[in-house]
Amino acid sequence: MNARPKRGGRAIVALAALAWLAGAGAARAQSRDVRIDISGGGQKIRLHVQGLTAAPDDPHASAKDAQELLARDLDDAAVFTVSRGWNGEAPVDVQGIVIGRWSVSGGRITLDGEVTDASPARLSILRHEYRGGVGEWRDLIHQFSDDIVLQFTGEPGVARTRIAFVAQQGRNRELYVMNLDGSDLHPLTADRSIALSPSWSPDGSLLLFTSYRGGTPPRIWVMAATGGRPYLISGRRGNNTSASYSPDGRDIACTLSQDGNAEVYLLDARGGSPRRVTSNRAIDTSPSWSPTGRELAFTSDRGGTPQVYVMDREGGNLRRLTYDVSYTDSPAWSPKGDRIAFVARDGNGFDVWVCRADGSGGHAVAVGGLNENPKWSPDGRHLVFASTRDGAQGLYVTDLDGRPPRRLDTGGLRALSPAWSPRPPSAVASATGRSVSQPGGHP
Amino acid sequence: MKVAPRWIVPLVTVCALVVLGGCAKKAVQTPPTPPPAPPVSHAVDTTTTPTPPPAPPVSGTVATSDMKDAFFDFDQSVLRDDARAALDQDARLLRDHPNVSVVIEGHCDERGTEEYNQALGERRAGAAKDYLTQAGIEAGRIETISYGKTRPFADGHDESAWAQNRRAHVVVK
Repeated sequence: MNARPKRGGRAIVALAALAWLAGAGAARAQSRDVRIDISGGGQKIRLHVQGLTAAPDDPHASAKDAQELLARDLDDAAVFTVSRGWNGEAPVDVQGIVIGRWSVSGGRITLDGEVTDASPARLSILRHEYRGGVGEWRDLIHQFSDDIVLQFTGEPGVARTRIAFVAQQGRNRELYVMNLDGSDLHPLTADRSIALSPSWSPDGSLLLFTSYRGGTPPRIWVMAATGGRPYLISGRRGNNTSASYSPDGRDIACTLSQDGNAEVYLLDARGGSPRRVTSNRAIDTSPSWSPTGRELAFTSDRGGTPQVYVMDREGGNLRRLTYDVSYTDSPAWSPKGDRIAFVARDGNGFDVWVCRADGSGGHAVAVGGLNENPKWSPDGRHLVFASTRDGAQGLYVTDLDGRPPRRLDTGGLRALSPAWSPRPPSAVASATGRSVSQPGGHP
Repeated sequence: MKVAPRWIVPLVTVCALVVLGGCAKKAVQTPPTPPPAPPVSHAVDTTTTPTPPPAPPVSGTVATSDMKDAFFDFDQSVLRDDARAALDQDARLLRDHPNVSVVIEGHCDERGTEEYNQALGERRAGAAKDYLTQAGIEAGRIETISYGKTRPFADGHDESAWAQNRRAHVVVK
């Protein structure tokens, strides 16, 4: 039974085709082997951001804000120790010195960004020109930062990613999206209903989510990440929740209760061809794909309390993830496949934990209050999660490097249920001097 | 899309007529004729003001506020004794008001994740529904919906608030 509305048929086919195409790209990109990311908590690269110089006739005083944003991007990348030239800090024992010059011409701005080594000759390590509209200066900074991360680590940063989340507004919850830096925050739904559990398509163009819109039990919907009309993916009897696209975009893992209790199912990208993966009288929910798409981590209370289990996508090879904690939930498999984040109950609080994919090495990375819904950044270096750790409900990012989690700016909204977007398609940047080839920024 | 076979149209028409006919017949039968007043009150004394007979069962006179909710322990959907007592009372009301249908909402406290609590709330609503159907209430009169932890009754962050929020809430439709 697929209760997809007829009028949305053509559009949803287009959406599904988009997701499939995006997924096909993702499948190729993810054929690499699992590797252990050792950057988290390891030795950091020392960078000195000397500053950005404004154009002499720059009509807007963005240079100071921009250089601080650049330094913060590099701090938040969690692979650098950053010193700031405008704070009177000196470049001590640094591996790179970051400089940049703004110029303005006819409503367009150009950032000429450069990283040099610290030798007296100041040999150029990286130099790019980033061009855009005057209002796009933040994005140009993020592009520069991501390229610097790429230059030093072999993988671009995530400064240009977005966060989808749900905002509690009275009794209702609406879906929102914003840039990671808090800019461009806006609602995607205005249903005066309950939206939950957003999840991005592999190409970042679509958002799956759960909603009670229309006064029904929870159903799975999809909408363009830029906004617009939602389309029904699954409105089967009972609960339809916890949906996420497979890494190749061809399947959706979700939880359906049409059999009388919550079971993990696979659907095709349009919500059809249901295939039941779990068969247990217990609650089975919250499936999270391994990056290969061959396995799923999920929550089940078949052992008496909720616990994270791992199984292959057909339901075989079931194993409990960890025996360290008596109550675990909300698994999130890292994009490199090496780790799984989850939530563990601690008295009346809930902590975010991370362990290796085989369940070993489990440790708490965010404690105090209710810490929930951890989701990985596309580079696997950060986790976003919802928390009441400071009293007010909000979103936080941990860089897994021992620094305290930082609160994301959600414009005062009571934010829940975050989801971290993939990287955007590679920006077109004109390179001058020693150029760096733009990598597969597209995940 | 498959084209329906030609015989389907008359078949559907016949079915529709049967269904409509059934409905029409039922519609004629409702509202039910009130039962005759008990003869006893008339027989005893017709000169004094007669005591009004007990109100016969009439649909639509039950409100959500008349229904009792079932409360649960943390991470449990097993009906406690107090929950059974509450549902026994609901079952009596539903038996006395056969035209009343209800929606049982499953709710959870704020601890645990959204998705697990959505499933747990469904189990709580299902446990309450099962109890009522075992008490003789037709399953077709009872819908269920789980709100997980999205619609708490009490806003606090302690056990007294949590205890209020772990419930099967019976709503008259």
